[in-house]
Amino acid sequence: MFQKPSIIIAGSKNGFRVDSLLLEERIQNAVNDGHRHIEIIAQGQHGIGGRLWKSGQEPVLVRVLGTSGQRVGSMGFPNTTIDVVGAVSDDVGWLNAGAKIIVRGQAANGAGNAMAQGKIYIAGDIGARGMTMTKHNPRFDPPQLWVLGRTGDSFAEFMAGGVAVVCGFRSSATDNVLGHRPCVGMVGGKIFFRGGHGGYSDKDARLTIPDDDEWRWLTSQMKIFLEEIGKAELLPELTTDRAAWQILVARRLYEQKGAGRRSISIFRGEVWDRELGPGGLIGDLTDQDRSPIELVASGDLRRFVPIWENEKYLPPCQAHCPTGIPVLRRWELIRKGQLQEAVDLALRYTPLPAAICGYLCPNLCMQSCTREQAGLPAVDVTLLGRASINAASPVFAPATGRRIAVIGGGAAGLSVAWQLLMKGHEAVIHEMRQELGGKISETIPRSRIPDEVLSHELGRLEDHIPHKHLEHPLTEAEFRMIHEKFDLVVIASGARKPRLIPIPGHERAVAALDFLRDSRLDQVKVGQNVVIIGAGNVGCDAAVEAVRLGAKTVTLIDIQEPASFGVERRSAEAAGARFLWPRFTKAITDESLELTTGEVLPADTVIMAVGDQPDLSFLPNDIRIEKGFIVVNEKFQTSDHRVFAIGDVVRLGLLTEAIGAGRVAARAIDDLLRGREETCDQLAPVNPERVKLEYYDPRLPAFTDTGSCAAGCASCGSCRDCGLCETLCPQNAISRQAKGSEAYEYVVDANRCIGCGFCADACPCGIWLLTENEPLE
Amino acid sequence: MEPDGQLKPSTLSTKDLPWQILWSKEKCNLCGHCTAVCPMRAIGLGVHRKRVLQVQLGLAEKPGNLFGVYHGIRQETDPANACVGCGMCTLVCPNGAIAPIHNDEPDKLKFHLNQGGAPRQRGGRRNISGSLLDQIKFIRISMLTDPALDAGRHEFELRTLLGRILPPEEALRVSREGGWIPPVREIYPLIIGSMSFGALSPTMWEGLQMGVAYINEELKIPIRFATGEGGCPPRLLRSRFLKYIILQIASGYFGWDEIIHALPEMKEDPCAIEIKYGQGAKPGDGGLLMWYKVNKLIASIRGVPPGVNLPSPPTHQTKYSIEEAVAKMIQSMSMAWGFRVPVYPKISATSTALAVLNNLTRNPYAAALAMDGEDGGTGAAYNVSLDHMGHPIASIVRDAYLNLVKIGRQNEIPIFAGGGVGKNGNLAANAAALIMLGASGVQVGKYIMQATAGCLGSETNRCNICNIGQCPKGIASQDPRLYRRLDPERVAERLVDVVLCFDTELKKIVAPLGRSTSLPIGMSDALGIADHNAATRLGIRYVI
Repeated sequence: MFQKPSIIIAGSKNGFRVDSLLLEERIQNAVNDGHRHIEIIAQGQHGIGGRLWKSGQEPVLVRVLGTSGQRVGSMGFPNTTIDVVGAVSDDVGWLNAGAKIIVRGQAANGAGNAMAQGKIYIAGDIGARGMTMTKHNPRFDPPQLWVLGRTGDSFAEFMAGGVAVVCGFRSSATDNVLGHRPCVGMVGGKIFFRGGHGGYSDKDARLTIPDDDEWRWLTSQMKIFLEEIGKAELLPELTTDRAAWQILVARRLYEQKGAGRRSISIFRGEVWDRELGPGGLIGDLTDQDRSPIELVASGDLRRFVPIWENEKYLPPCQAHCPTGIPVLRRWELIRKGQLQEAVDLALRYTPLPAAICGYLCPNLCMQSCTREQAGLPAVDVTLLGRASINAASPVFAPATGRRIAVIGGGAAGLSVAWQLLMKGHEAVIHEMRQELGGKISETIPRSRIPDEVLSHELGRLEDHIPHKHLEHPLTEAEFRMIHEKFDLVVIASGARKPRLIPIPGHERAVAALDFLRDSRLDQVKVGQNVVIIGAGNVGCDAAVEAVRLGAKTVTLIDIQEPASFGVERRSAEAAGARFLWPRFTKAITDESLELTTGEVLPADTVIMAVGDQPDLSFLPNDIRIEKGFIVVNEKFQTSDHRVFAIGDVVRLGLLTEAIGAGRVAARAIDDLLRGREETCDQLAPVNPERVKLEYYDPRLPAFTDTGSCAAGCASCGSCRDCGLCETLCPQNAISRQAKGSEAYEYVVDANRCIGCGFCADACPCGIWLLTENEPLE
Repeated sequence: MEPDGQLKPSTLSTKDLPWQILWSKEKCNLCGHCTAVCPMRAIGLGVHRKRVLQVQLGLAEKPGNLFGVYHGIRQETDPANACVGCGMCTLVCPNGAIAPIHNDEPDKLKFHLNQGGAPRQRGGRRNISGSLLDQIKFIRISMLTDPALDAGRHEFELRTLLGRILPPEEALRVSREGGWIPPVREIYPLIIGSMSFGALSPTMWEGLQMGVAYINEELKIPIRFATGEGGCPPRLLRSRFLKYIILQIASGYFGWDEIIHALPEMKEDPCAIEIKYGQGAKPGDGGLLMWYKVNKLIASIRGVPPGVNLPSPPTHQTKYSIEEAVAKMIQSMSMAWGFRVPVYPKISATSTALAVLNNLTRNPYAAALAMDGEDGGTGAAYNVSLDHMGHPIASIVRDAYLNLVKIGRQNEIPIFAGGGVGKNGNLAANAAALIMLGASGVQVGKYIMQATAGCLGSETNRCNICNIGQCPKGIASQDPRLYRRLDPERVAERLVDVVLCFDTELKKIVAPLGRSTSLPIGMSDALGIADHNAATRLGIRYVI
């Protein structure tokens, strides 16, 4: 059957195994010596038949008898044919580079490991990790491994090229001819196999069946294989049933991608929601839409919503004006060019706009002006106040025929009468003095207000308001008569009774109001040194007057830090008055005032300015008083519901407070007479932080005319219709909508708005409020 | 500053804040996106007055001023609105015009975060970047293993056991006598949680649960999710997915009536019951779910009125010692499922952990011990608890394991470790280190939030507002406007990615040790560290 070899090399000598090194040397020498047909009686030597390049192109046949060792034909050359007559150990054909290796028995583990060319024909089964790491170099034909039987586990791991054919012939387990988990990491080549498989690395390989070309190749090559292993008779058995053959090929990269598992979305629909029910995990607990939304959302999904809070809050000026003059509205009218309307507006709120706003009021509006918080000068309302001397009288409502008696023609009385007049009621002032105006015309120093302003304004009132000059203090009997005769009575008789401290020598002191009244008439002499007990604003007025009348030193003492403020305090200080506190008076002597400390202040005149009290001697007992003042409710109504009381008879206060009380009382009286019940809750003042003052010139030292005031007014809480929000809105969500001839509003398109808050942050007037959207749940 | 320009003690400038908003006037488009998404209202539109002095060369004319106004992004300085550095502004800015940057000096804000006398609370993490686990190396590399394992290409399963494993002779005896054999689950060594429904948003929770179900059913990896305290939606309790869930009971007992009502209708037993006694992020303190996260849905699942604060008591109310609590509760929980479900306590890592462990070894019903180290994250905790309380996880796991070795029970009662696993992104390495120190598996929360939902927290005090319901990623909020930013499907997809990668990485670590089926639990000879003290303390090799 075999041709006779030209040399036989024995693997043992004298009964001992020849070392692999020596056997290799002998084989190489034999080839070098021209032997081309070598027979080796092996005794477990390794690497037999590899590396036989010394024959050049001439073929070399190596027949291995005996027991071959590991790595038969490793690094085999294309010229070499190795014919192992029997089984082989591990790694037959390892790194084979072209040899044909025929094994006429079984092969152990690692058959064909890392081979790149050549053919290995195994006439039996192979062990684990056959055909692993095989390569295919395009310069050469791909390697082939033929296995007549089956493979062991981990077949074709990391296979990168070549062809393996597993015939499954008489395999002990034909249901799986490829062992456990073949093809892990397989990236190239193909595996023909006949019989079943027990799974393979689906990630790396895919199963197919031979096409016609592949079948032709397989059957033609099968013939060769069978002839080489001497079993040509098996050809029909192995090639008759084409359907028994399958192929595993490496997946291409694009085939690997997307292979295998279903997507999460499909899993959600087909598995998750199916098991849990519609809506998934909490579909039974809530109807809340939980579908994904954009990061920057609009409409209901905005986190924040802007609200146009126009005139929802009072500007601080108006909120702090006891009279309640809509200061801001007046500046707005001026901005619109309606100066006269702005001026006229004042008379609807106060009968004495020029005298009080322009001269006598500490102007609480200006003290609270938002501009002051940023160090900007307050809008100067005194300019507007003084301009109000030219205000036109408002149109009075048609006469109702109702008559109201007003006791006292001071600021409070004038205010209530003026307001009642505008509402169509007849208010008759009963004044004890010759002239109207109360303290304004009686005790406030002339330096504080020009006579012509006062007389102009009082004249305007005298023209309209009927009044009686009683010329003596009112008696209780007279009061009762008035009470009978009129529908209602308003007591506005002021606080004209000086308070005196009963210290030794107090009879030497002069009451401040008396002093001021007399000083207006220049009917008083004060001497060199004046001491004023009580350093409030009245005391300050007295101090200024004392200096005007020739005093060299004026000292104001107080038991606490003086409560005086504003023009009065500044004027007194400017006049050189000295303030001392805390000081307690022990006694008043002929030339001086003694303090409890033992200090003695020289005093030619001692003025007592510790406050005044109402003179309520005319008041019937059924009207409740407390600590010398009439008790009223929030509408200035006394315990007798037909009697109201306002001004200093209720509580000592500013002129503007008296005027404001008159307005409130007049409204209450009007409601009462007309049978209405109205509440007039005042709006809260706007938070000044909402107003942006960066839009105004920071260097303006003071206002000089009403025009610049109007421009500088921040219009706190009241839209000035500048249109900045509409322009600024990045979403173009804000638009101005006209409502009638003058009215308008700015509205937000929720479907465009993202709730960025730019409108709220930029609004000069603090109208826009950014608020959290309604909770969604 | 106050509008009137007055200083108050807590008047801060942006320079005093930990995060400063860097804004480019040149690039800004004034689109409003940044202010619309800022969770803290830390930024707004600023109105700025601008003055330019007009001076002619040679002073030819009288100098003048030109005033103007411009608008730009302004940062709030009120402590209540201080920037948390989440960077959502940067994310939505189309022009790259805005970003929070870390202050270059220690912030002053922390001295003012106690306005009204309330100490700071926050969510998130410890904000300490160091990690002992990160320093541990796997130094024992086998040149060849049998079988040859390619972690990336070979498919092999890593599994661990949760449950009380009887010693063989004992198991034989019990089985011969027909006695009770404790339930044991063969699960994946990575457990997600514990994170409650309530702390997490519905979208986040559903996404994670869906991902867990997918990983189990499609990828056949038996990963488990621990619910945290707060109950479990009724549908999940009645679904087959329950077997992937470890239900937690804690001192607030929220949601347990729903679980009890579901008992007769359960298709599957839960994986296990975790009894929470402590949490690494706030050892000795209970849950702190604040009212803004307790909406109708959360309230109904927890069985409480909506809009109330839900602080859990620090300890279980009617139990007077940990021994008593563990014994009673483990037995009761076991009874609820007919002793078919493993029940184990979870405690915060503590120097007293060994006492608990020793007690458990004598309790035949105790299935495991879970310990949560100081680096654990949380939805809400007092700052002082987060930053200053707790025990590192590595040494306590080591102590516990060696203690079990000493008494010969290291294969009987598994230890699960959590708290900072993967805090710097090294999830598999940290997990492997803990396993080789003696843990049977790890519990992971923060890493999952970061990787699956893009949580913005970092170890640099970023974001950390999980507690106030304003989570800008929708992870820890109950506000639909926020949680709908998160798509549960995407969360599930990311969880799949995370687990697959974790699996490969863990295999890359254990395969060179020749481990393909059993985890190298306690295989500390594979560990080394370049810190002598740490090496001595942990009983591992000192390598430099």
